[in-house]
Amino acid sequence: MFYVALKIISYDKVRSFITLLGVVFAVSLIFAQMGIYLGLMETSSIIIDHTPGDIWITSKNCKNFDFSQPLPEYLYYHVLSTEGVQWAEKLIVTWGIIKQKEGGTEQVEVVGYNPDTGIGGPWKMKIGDSRAVKNGNFTIVDDSAKRRLGDVKVGEYREVLWKRLEIVGISQDVKSFTTAPIIFTSYRLAQKLDPNWIGPDKTVFVIAKVSPKYSVEQVIKNLKKRLKGVDVYSKESFSMKTRLYWTIETGVGFSFLLTISISFLIGMLIVGQTIYNSTVEHIKEFGTLKAMGASNFDIYKLIFSQALINALLGYFMSLIITLLSVKIYEATEMVMVVNMWVNVLILGLTMLMCLSSALVSIRKIKKIDPAILFRG
Amino acid sequence: MDAAIVTKDLTKIYAEGRIEVKAVSSVTLQLNEGEVVGLLGPSGSGKTTLLSMIGCILRPTDGSIKIYGNEITGMDETTLPNIRKKYISFIFQGFNLFPALTAIENVLLILKLKGINKNVSNQRAKDLLTVVGLSERMHFLPRDLSGGQKQRVAVARALAANSPIILADEPTGNLDYTNGRKVMEILRNLAVEQKRCVVVSTHDNRIEDIFDRILLMEDGQIINEKRRLS
Repeated sequence: MFYVALKIISYDKVRSFITLLGVVFAVSLIFAQMGIYLGLMETSSIIIDHTPGDIWITSKNCKNFDFSQPLPEYLYYHVLSTEGVQWAEKLIVTWGIIKQKEGGTEQVEVVGYNPDTGIGGPWKMKIGDSRAVKNGNFTIVDDSAKRRLGDVKVGEYREVLWKRLEIVGISQDVKSFTTAPIIFTSYRLAQKLDPNWIGPDKTVFVIAKVSPKYSVEQVIKNLKKRLKGVDVYSKESFSMKTRLYWTIETGVGFSFLLTISISFLIGMLIVGQTIYNSTVEHIKEFGTLKAMGASNFDIYKLIFSQALINALLGYFMSLIITLLSVKIYEATEMVMVVNMWVNVLILGLTMLMCLSSALVSIRKIKKIDPAILFRG
Repeated sequence: MDAAIVTKDLTKIYAEGRIEVKAVSSVTLQLNEGEVVGLLGPSGSGKTTLLSMIGCILRPTDGSIKIYGNEITGMDETTLPNIRKKYISFIFQGFNLFPALTAIENVLLILKLKGINKNVSNQRAKDLLTVVGLSERMHFLPRDLSGGQKQRVAVARALAANSPIILADEPTGNLDYTNGRKVMEILRNLAVEQKRCVVVSTHDNRIEDIFDRILLMEDGQIINEKRRLS
């Protein structure tokens, strides 16, 4: 049946081309939307995901990584002395204003980390060393910030929250979800940059590593028992919480879901209409097969095979287009995720789109009026 | 001769709103293996309706139909395809060949649906297309064949299925006299040779001599029966 379906498709080249174009359009759009969405989500929790440690202690009702409240710094010592904690580290995430070289200001997200351990700091350096922010008014700017901050160079000075900071390194891959560039400073400098909000006795997160003999769940339980007025998350759940916040609370997820749904629907309509037209055109031939003993199922196989061929051809062409366009997205500083998981999911969606679009034709076959066979 | 088809008081009434039209009325007949039967009559006489009912694709309003002893009037939609698959093939006025498939592929498709082995199918399809005079054109698409050639493919397809009953509805309707006669002669010779029961619905009086038996229909009833003088 697959061979017959292939012959039917290749016979009507114009119609098949239009169908294929429709599938490619819809599937490429789904690839792009899903890839960009996952890229954004990856970016939103990128620092959590790249920071060693198993547990994050945050302020009560913290919604995400970017907007957490300060905590008393002494909690760090409580965490450190809790049973099952191997080590703990403090991390500050706050917001600041940076003065542009040519005037004007930009908002930046300031991440203050301990340069001795590097925990919470940049994990990939293009220029310099992540420990270079120690003991001074130093900062590391991410390479992706160039679009907003201009051509930043090591050795240059920039004013952040009214303090003159020297750029001592350029990090890589720390793209910001909020579009405000991420800059790194030492933990102590971050406390001084915003003394009214953070101050010398406050931190924003405490990150803990679980000792090998303990489970993460067990240590979370111990920490929750010991610490009051804070939230305790595993690294994975805090990462997910951040991603879900941006997905649900901001409508980003809905907007992407809507576009994916519309693309799915467009693809379904195009494939459905073509297969339906083809079925109507071949109704007498199908009827003849049915009259000669072919079951409805035999004919369904033929129709579903046509849908499947459209799905597979359309999918692989879209995949090629998507892989080629990833570089273009990267050039615009957008992150587009195309991995095996996404590929399999979209293959499933494409098959579902094409096969469900064939259902209208199936209905037509089911209701073939035998009388049509006897009309010349 | 064994009875291939037996009908008793076969009736079909079409309801159009409150109006009832009796398309076939109390037809009782027996059609046997190895005979070629012509169903003749003017347009609207009920030939096609009768053919549809004995072909198990239209349910009668009343009466009974037996195909090789199987009472089919009470059978459900899941059983009927099996009866058709086992016993019945069709030839239609409009040929109904898949335009995307070559002559041989159109024949092979039926064989595939019947679950016949690929090698056997290939040989049978080639043999039959040769018998109907299309050995040179078996790899042609229907669009590259004449009307007569297309109908010969349809005949080969009907015979390929090895069904003991072949029902043909106006098989010469789209053909000129010479081609129509040629197709009918091929059909007759093969049917007699292979002991098939062939029922042909037609209003073409010029091919009367092809049939062993002629059933003349009018207003849904068989009003006359003529037998061929051997």
